[in-house]
Amino acid sequence: MNPSAPRVLQGLAANLLSEVMPNISTPFGQQLVGIAAMLEMMIAEEFDRAADRLVTENRAVRELLAEGSTLLGEQCPPSVALAVKSPPAQSLRIPDLQRENDLLRAALIDLHAAVEQTPGEAARAFEERIWAELIESTRRRQFASRL
Amino acid sequence: MNDALARYLASRLEANDVRVTSLLRIPGGASRETWMFDAEWTAPSGERQTAAFVLRKDPPASLLDTDRETEYAFYSAFWGSEVPVPRMRWLENDASILGGPFFIMDRILGCESATAKIIAPPYTAVHPQLAENMYRILGAIATFEWRGTPIERVAEPPTPETAWQRELDHWERILDTEAMEPQPVMKAAIRWLRANPPPPAQRISVVHGDYRVGNFLYREDGNIYGIVDWEMAHLGDPLEDLAWSFNQSWHWAKDGRPGGIVDRATAIAHWERYSGLRADPGALYWWEVFSHVKCQGIWVTGARSFQENRTNELILPLVAYSLINAQDQYLLRTMGRIP
Repeated sequence: MNPSAPRVLQGLAANLLSEVMPNISTPFGQQLVGIAAMLEMMIAEEFDRAADRLVTENRAVRELLAEGSTLLGEQCPPSVALAVKSPPAQSLRIPDLQRENDLLRAALIDLHAAVEQTPGEAARAFEERIWAELIESTRRRQFASRL
Repeated sequence: MNDALARYLASRLEANDVRVTSLLRIPGGASRETWMFDAEWTAPSGERQTAAFVLRKDPPASLLDTDRETEYAFYSAFWGSEVPVPRMRWLENDASILGGPFFIMDRILGCESATAKIIAPPYTAVHPQLAENMYRILGAIATFEWRGTPIERVAEPPTPETAWQRELDHWERILDTEAMEPQPVMKAAIRWLRANPPPPAQRISVVHGDYRVGNFLYREDGNIYGIVDWEMAHLGDPLEDLAWSFNQSWHWAKDGRPGGIVDRATAIAHWERYSGLRADPGALYWWEVFSHVKCQGIWVTGARSFQENRTNELILPLVAYSLINAQDQYLLRTMGRIP
């Protein structure tokens, strides 16, 4: 087996920081090398998790949209019903999963806005569930190696 | 670029044998390329003269797309006031000279601006002075009489009632057009901002637009010698700048303190004392929530520029990877949704 892409990227970053940066004479050049190393560490992390993150999130958002559609009935924005009926990504390639994610999360914005305008305890409780998913979505995207 | 700069300076200074030396790009400057250089020339009197300059040049694409004439006008208006700024020299819109429009200003010597340095010794010893000076100067910006200055020519004043709406409309439009994926957290905040507008601005002031630790020049004596990066300057509600300085994206020491140099209550007390204005807690909160939307608008603009091959500036994907999701989390924290 070849060394994994994350491991190679981490190795590149380590070499840039330890071997290349000390030999760069200008502050701007040093900054560039530092940025390149930092990017490699974050991309290594994203490479490893991106497909899992998107599959997990698409499933969670699709479920929320379906429940929201039932809760709001005829008051539900058309984009929500369209998203619920949309087929899942045709492959596990990141661009396909991301396209599905964009469609679902755009519908989630419309659903969230509609739920906010809906009176009643059920709507308030569902609003909190949407917030819980939004919070979780930021945890899924968080980098251990961020600035 | 040395020769092109020397030719340009020769025409501007009406001088012969201009030499440009020590030309170096300054790190940072994600919105405009920032270069420093020294120049030496023979004046018409025959006297040999030298000067240190800073050049700000428009890149092919950046975090922001702002009007350099507006930035130049704001700098020029404050020259000689109690708000320290470098002296502007020349504004050049002809992109053929250096590969992009640019302006040149005097370089303020012997100062630091790095965010990593201000949170470490020896500067930690003068944090109280730096903080007081930072918010004293912000108070001076807030009360600056901009009428009758170059600002009046380049900036449209909103009414006190519409200052918030103009900024929110502008940055929501940027978020909608530039973001490469849906922004459900930011859009929820924008709905809240529209449903809960702040009270009218106490006055229509100059708003620096990016007032924070990192955008001023300081020394070990605790004084501030230059406020820089006026590319987002406009007229509006002075609370916008105060709130912006509190944004978590600038908590450089990661200890909850704005800029890593001052606690929030002290900063507000300094600002209120020097500006004579009041930081109404509800209004300030509104502008803090707004500051996250504006930050995100900046980050997604840079991300799209890079994705669409308009630039290879590596700072743009770094900002995107490290700040777009983090900004959502900072907003959630401000709104009390996460600890």
